[in-house]
Amino acid sequence: MPDPAGRRASDDRRRRWRTACDGLAFLAVLVGSGWLLYAGASELQYNWQWYRVPQYLGRFEGGEFRAGPLLRGLGVTLELTGWSLLLTVVFGLAAALSQRSASWAGHALARVYVEIVRNTPMLVQLYLVYFVLAPILGMDRFVAAVLALALFEGAFAAEIFRAGIEAIPRGQWEAADALGLSRYAVYRRVILPQAVRLVLPPLTGLAVSLIKHSALVSVIAVADLTTEGRNLIADTFMTFELWFTVAALYLALTTSLSMLASWLERRLPLRGVGNG
Amino acid sequence: MSWRKLRFGWLDALILAVVAGLVGYVFYRAQSHFHYSWDWRLIPGYFVRHDPERGWILNLLGQGFLATVRLALWGGLLAAAIGGVMGLCRISGSLFLRLLGRSYVELVRNTPPLVFIFIFYFFLSGQLMPVLDVESRIARASPETLQVLALLFGQPDLLPNFLSGLICLALFEGAYVAEIVRAGIESIPRGQWEGAAALGLPPRPTLAKIILPQALRAVVPPLAGQFISLIKDSALISLISIQELTFAGTELAVSSGRVFEVWLTVAALYFLLCFGLARLFRRLEWRLARRRDR
Repeated sequence: MPDPAGRRASDDRRRRWRTACDGLAFLAVLVGSGWLLYAGASELQYNWQWYRVPQYLGRFEGGEFRAGPLLRGLGVTLELTGWSLLLTVVFGLAAALSQRSASWAGHALARVYVEIVRNTPMLVQLYLVYFVLAPILGMDRFVAAVLALALFEGAFAAEIFRAGIEAIPRGQWEAADALGLSRYAVYRRVILPQAVRLVLPPLTGLAVSLIKHSALVSVIAVADLTTEGRNLIADTFMTFELWFTVAALYLALTTSLSMLASWLERRLPLRGVGNG
Repeated sequence: MSWRKLRFGWLDALILAVVAGLVGYVFYRAQSHFHYSWDWRLIPGYFVRHDPERGWILNLLGQGFLATVRLALWGGLLAAAIGGVMGLCRISGSLFLRLLGRSYVELVRNTPPLVFIFIFYFFLSGQLMPVLDVESRIARASPETLQVLALLFGQPDLLPNFLSGLICLALFEGAYVAEIVRAGIESIPRGQWEGAAALGLPPRPTLAKIILPQALRAVVPPLAGQFISLIKDSALISLISIQELTFAGTELAVSSGRVFEVWLTVAALYFLLCFGLARLFRRLEWRLARRRDR
């Protein structure tokens, strides 16, 4: 709640005092929940073995670094996300453009695609691709995972692209028409280059959600970070340590991506958009 | 697109041909390489079946669908409560509450749903359920209570499991609801706060009497969307063995061997539920907007 305007300067010290109190209270809550976790775990006779975790990340053997299962899983997650993102952009752009095209078939197809994907769970789509489509077409599980992820995120990317294209001022279209550019050239040379800047921030958000959704492919046993974590837990029973490590790795990945996105946003100023 | 302008262009022909080609190829491969014989006749029997003693009863898919609806209802209510409180925390004047709300939201939104659900399920089923002593309470409950419980939450013997899944789901969706609530409150112009302050209204009544009633209007459409997301995310709960629609699908696909038919049916059920709700919400929103304009 915003404070009523005109707070006097003499309140400053009191405010600082309150801030410190609040910070301490928050710390107390953190410590308290940590203690609850610890107490709960010791009630289950849980044996904490944090010292065993680093070897699963990687270790030095003869001066050479060898990645452990968790880091290898992280690599697979990145690979999976990269390919899916590429395909997501293709699906999304195709859906957005055909929704904007004069063709009613394209319009209907894009609409059906978006509605089906948005109104069914990701998990069920993954099962459909993996259990129905993959055996018919002879895809392996990695390809099936990439396809399922890309189909899912593509429907959301379509909305992002559509919004980005529609945000380009009418004047740009009209000017391009006046110059006699073909429809392809208008998109290629005028609209899409400007839309890229608008589309970038929501697209990074999409990439973050793609990383998170990629954890789902552990269900079909693609060897990603979550799968490696689950396998290790089954072997070692270090449930808490490994799940926390896995969650921290995902957190590091998504936060660094968000930071990269805001850096990119600052580097690429909005040019020309909004004053056309 | 207006239907008057409907014309059959070369692009339409191309797109239709490509779609027909793809679908045809998939069916051809299913027949020739996979030798799959489609058989849809068994599917209705998985919804309801006839029992010689009890008459018509729900079978796996029917029960699963009902469980998903129950999860959605209770999960939606719980998520709205958690999200409402946390959303208010996010905009509170107290740093403590802001930090609390912020860490909850960031923690949930930056871990994969699957990882979140696995971690919390482990906690809830291992620690909270014994503390609440749900199991022995059910054992002691009277038959009438059990009947009510069965109506509200499904089979009573699965209740602890159901509750763990429900709380996981609500905690997860609550973070998104909190963000919607925060955005809704922040969408109210500053002038409203300042006007109330000028009239001598303290912050709390300002929030309750002036800001929230206006924010409610901004919050309802995204909340409806989030409710549909909740239904979709409830499929994840099947992975911790809560017996809802996706779980029933997994079981049936394995036991009956009718993999293609079962998964297509499950997907269709989710689609009908979510798409139907989305249409309903859009209609309600449209009617509300029209009434407001008059």
